[in-house]
Amino acid sequence: MAKYVVTSQSVTINSVDLSADCARAELVISSADVETTDFSSGGFVELQGGLKSGVLNLDFHADYASGKVSDTLEPLVGQVVTFEVIAGGATVGAETPSFSGSVLINSFTPVAGAVGDLATFSVSFPTSGAITKATS
Amino acid sequence: MTDITALRQAIATNLATISGLRTDSEVPDNPNPPVAIVELEGIDYDGAMQQGLTTLMFKIIVIVSRQSDRVSQRSLNAYASQDGARSIKIAVESDRSLNGNAMDCRVQSLTSVGSLELNNTEYSAIEFSVAVYV
Repeated sequence: MAKYVVTSQSVTINSVDLSADCARAELVISSADVETTDFSSGGFVELQGGLKSGVLNLDFHADYASGKVSDTLEPLVGQVVTFEVIAGGATVGAETPSFSGSVLINSFTPVAGAVGDLATFSVSFPTSGAITKATS
Repeated sequence: MTDITALRQAIATNLATISGLRTDSEVPDNPNPPVAIVELEGIDYDGAMQQGLTTLMFKIIVIVSRQSDRVSQRSLNAYASQDGARSIKIAVESDRSLNGNAMDCRVQSLTSVGSLELNNTEYSAIEFSVAVYV
């Protein structure tokens, strides 16, 4: 698989597969900007990479059934739990790598939605510790 | 697996709770008004990862006789109402799980009011759009 259309990312939080309730998954890894500008920088800002961090952004469809997304996330608020996202499939492979680590469940929206719309909510969990990529 | 035939039949079953309204889950060759016919209109796949959500759009066509314009209009008014014993919306949403075949369903809108000619006979008809989530 090379370029691909997103239909089957796998999203697991605290060992619970929430893929079927998830409409969007995004993992962003970034580093802090540490400025090293000095008199020899030629009038431009100079930077070095600082500490790395990550954010896991997810859009969910609300589902209160046992083992589903609302039931899973609600009791985890305030806890650091494991996550795994597999890009492009349910099985880890060379072209469907997984990214895993831990996230802080720092918010949860148990009720959301406008009249007539599908009930959805979005979360943005900061990662805690290293993010690991695997291809097998 | 999404059983579209079962979904159409379940919508027809819900519609049959309206007294005096015939229903058909498939388009008949010779409709016998007053009748509500369920048609598949479209499918929106991949609403969630790993086929966790599929949205099916159904069209319900309600056909009534035009022997009397006034009677047919009043009949259609009752079917179009958001409430009441002959409300299409109330009937379809009386079992939103569609006999356990769907996560949810909703009559979204009345999309058309007009006339329909079948076998050289003119009828009055209204159409509804129904979203079914599986």
